[in-house]
Amino acid sequence: MPSPSRSALMRHFDLVGQLQPAYHQPQHAPYPDAIDHAKYRALLRSSHDVGGEPDVPIEWEEKEEEQWEANTFATCECLAWRGVWSAEERRRRQNVDVGETQYLALPYYGRWLLSAARIIVDKQYVTLTELVNKIDEVKSRYEQKSAR
Amino acid sequence: MSKNQHDRAHHAKKASGVGDPQCFRGEAGQAKFKNGDKVRIRDLPDIFYTRCQVYTRGAVGRITKVVYESPAAEDEAWDNTDHPEWFYSVVFRQHELWPDYPASYKNDTLETEFSERWLEQA
Repeated sequence: MPSPSRSALMRHFDLVGQLQPAYHQPQHAPYPDAIDHAKYRALLRSSHDVGGEPDVPIEWEEKEEEQWEANTFATCECLAWRGVWSAEERRRRQNVDVGETQYLALPYYGRWLLSAARIIVDKQYVTLTELVNKIDEVKSRYEQKSAR
Repeated sequence: MSKNQHDRAHHAKKASGVGDPQCFRGEAGQAKFKNGDKVRIRDLPDIFYTRCQVYTRGAVGRITKVVYESPAAEDEAWDNTDHPEWFYSVVFRQHELWPDYPASYKNDTLETEFSERWLEQA
C-alpha cells in the first residue's frame, strides 16, 4: 500500500474531530452512498489513537488512588497470570473494543473493569446469565445494607 | 476460539524465567533495517487494532536503534505469538509530523517504536 500524502492525513484529523461528540454532525443510519473512503477510514480508526485530533484541553486534578481502582488492577493482573489475556489483548479491549463513546466517557479504571468482565464472558469462564445474576444479587445485598 | 482449543498459558510458560521480549530472541530472522537508515512509515489498513500512530503515516524518520524481537501488537492483541518481528526506534523532526509546528523550535524531535511491517526504505 502506498504512503499517504501528509495533507490527506491532516484532512483525516479534521474529519475525525468532527465525529467526536463535542463536534457532532448528523450521521445516524447513513445510506451507503453517504460513506466515501475518507469517512470510512475516519469511522474505522482505533479509538485510542487520538494523537493529532483536535480537542479541548483536559483539566488535570491530583487524586488519591481509590480502593476499587487498586482492586481492579489486581484482578486484571491475575487474569494475565492465569493466561486469560496478555497486556496487549487487555489494551485492545479496554482502549479500542469499548468503542469511541465509552473510550472517551468512562474513567480510566472503569474501562479496565468493564473489559475484565467482558473477557470472562467472551472466553466462557462465566456465562452472561451468571454475571447478570451475580450483579443483581450483589446489588440487592448492597441496597439492603444501605437501607439500615 | 474457545478456551478448550487454545493453551492460554502458552505465553506465560514461554516467558517464565526468561522475560518478555527476551523469550522471542532469535525468532524474527534477519533485521531488514539498521541504525541510521531513513524510513517512511507505511499506511497499512488500521482496522480493529494497531499501535502505529496514525500521525506518523507517510512521514520520514531515521532509525536510532534496532530494539528487540516481539510479536507485533496487531497479532499479540489476539494472543498470537507465532511471527515475531524486529522492532525499531525511529526519530522524526516535529516539523515533519506537524505542518504548523513553530519554526523557532525546528530542532525538536519525537522518537517512537515501530514493528518492521510498518517501515519502508525512504
